[in-house]
Amino acid sequence: MKSETKSRSKAFKAVDFLLLACAVIPYIFGIALYVLIKPPSSGIEITGAKILFTIDMPLQSLPITESQVNSWIVIVTIFFLCLYLTHGISAAQPTARQHLAEWIVEKTENLVKNNMGEFFDGFAPFVAAIMGLSAFSSLLTLVGLFPPTSDLNVVGGWAVLVFILITHYKMKCGLLHYIKSFGDPVPLLAPLNVISEIATPVSMAFRHYGNVLSGSVISVLVAVGLQGLSKIVLGKLPGFIGEFPLLQIGLPAVLSVYFDIFSGCLQAFIFAMLTMLYISTGFPSEDYRAKLMKKEKN
Amino acid sequence: MQSTEVISVNLWQMLISLLNLLILFLILKKFMYKPVKKTLAERQKLIDERFENAQKAQSDADSAKSEYESKLANADSEAADIIKAARAKAERKSEKIVSSAKSKADDILRQAQTDAELEKKKAEADIKNEITEVSSLLTEKLLGREINAADHRDFINSFIEKIGEEND
Repeated sequence: MKSETKSRSKAFKAVDFLLLACAVIPYIFGIALYVLIKPPSSGIEITGAKILFTIDMPLQSLPITESQVNSWIVIVTIFFLCLYLTHGISAAQPTARQHLAEWIVEKTENLVKNNMGEFFDGFAPFVAAIMGLSAFSSLLTLVGLFPPTSDLNVVGGWAVLVFILITHYKMKCGLLHYIKSFGDPVPLLAPLNVISEIATPVSMAFRHYGNVLSGSVISVLVAVGLQGLSKIVLGKLPGFIGEFPLLQIGLPAVLSVYFDIFSGCLQAFIFAMLTMLYISTGFPSEDYRAKLMKKEKN
Repeated sequence: MQSTEVISVNLWQMLISLLNLLILFLILKKFMYKPVKKTLAERQKLIDERFENAQKAQSDADSAKSEYESKLANADSEAADIIKAARAKAERKSEKIVSSAKSKADDILRQAQTDAELEKKKAEADIKNEITEVSSLLTEKLLGREINAADHRDFINSFIEKIGEEND
């Protein structure tokens, strides 16, 4: 097997390198863009994404912001990573990266099977897409880029898609069945059911967005606070030491590990889990099965 | 550079984000799940094939083994039969040889006995004749005249027999 790996042609390695480069280049592009549009520092500023340009659209103008650009960076990166992982895939002689690809595929498929059941087998790539997009977006903060997940519109768009899917599967038994389901235990509760139905995507979007945004807000506040503190404590010292924010070393890094890495991955996982649970629990599987049986009889 | 508000709702941005997720879903499905699942299925097939081959080889080996074992057992009994037959044959042959040798020896013995007897008789007769002649010669010399051997045969014979009796 080893000799096989060694005897791989130069062209194969060149393609490998090209794919990896294509996965990295978007980041470089994003960082360059960030450096170019970075306004001169003006103290503490907690704002949304920076607007690059605005397109006039009916209903509402569309500002193309960092969120959109960074989302596309993530998509391109994941696309080339996929190509890299499945490059030179073979049944007989799996390589390390192929093991990784197989691990991802098998894990997500098992997750979907365990949480959603056999009927939703095709959902594995969708769940993986949510996890990948969310996690990679949140982890963009590691290279200093704006995380698209801290933009409500980005996460809101995903939540709307999830809501569409939930409603689609709820309507599998017909529109009438769907409307009837709102008067479930008693018709009196119908308004509450409607509210909870709408609250699902809203809560999903706000949970994810709020977690990532609050993480960066807290990080900024702590960093600025520590800067002020070190100015008070060490400010009397002469020269360079007095201006150096010594206390900023340490705590912000720990917070970054929590908010950027742990929280980012955790929120991605939570969003994916909630997607699976909402879709599979909303689906009236028994009624649907009964309907199928009836159809077979006719 | 302008920024959006921290909380701002823009329908078009939401739509773009929704489409982004859909596109990534399609990308993952086409470029990740499809090839990987295909390879996994291929590998499963490969494993099944190998397993089948191994099972077949095992059953082949088993049947060959039992065949050899039965053959070996047959060979053992066959060898025993052959040895038994050979021993019986050898015994028969040796008996035959011994008996023929015995009869031959008997024949030789008998022949020898008869020969010896004949020889003895011949010798006796010769001796008798000689003695008769000698005695007749002696008698001639003694008596000075010729004795008719034929005339005196009976007399001489009785004489010889007397000598023989005295010698006994």
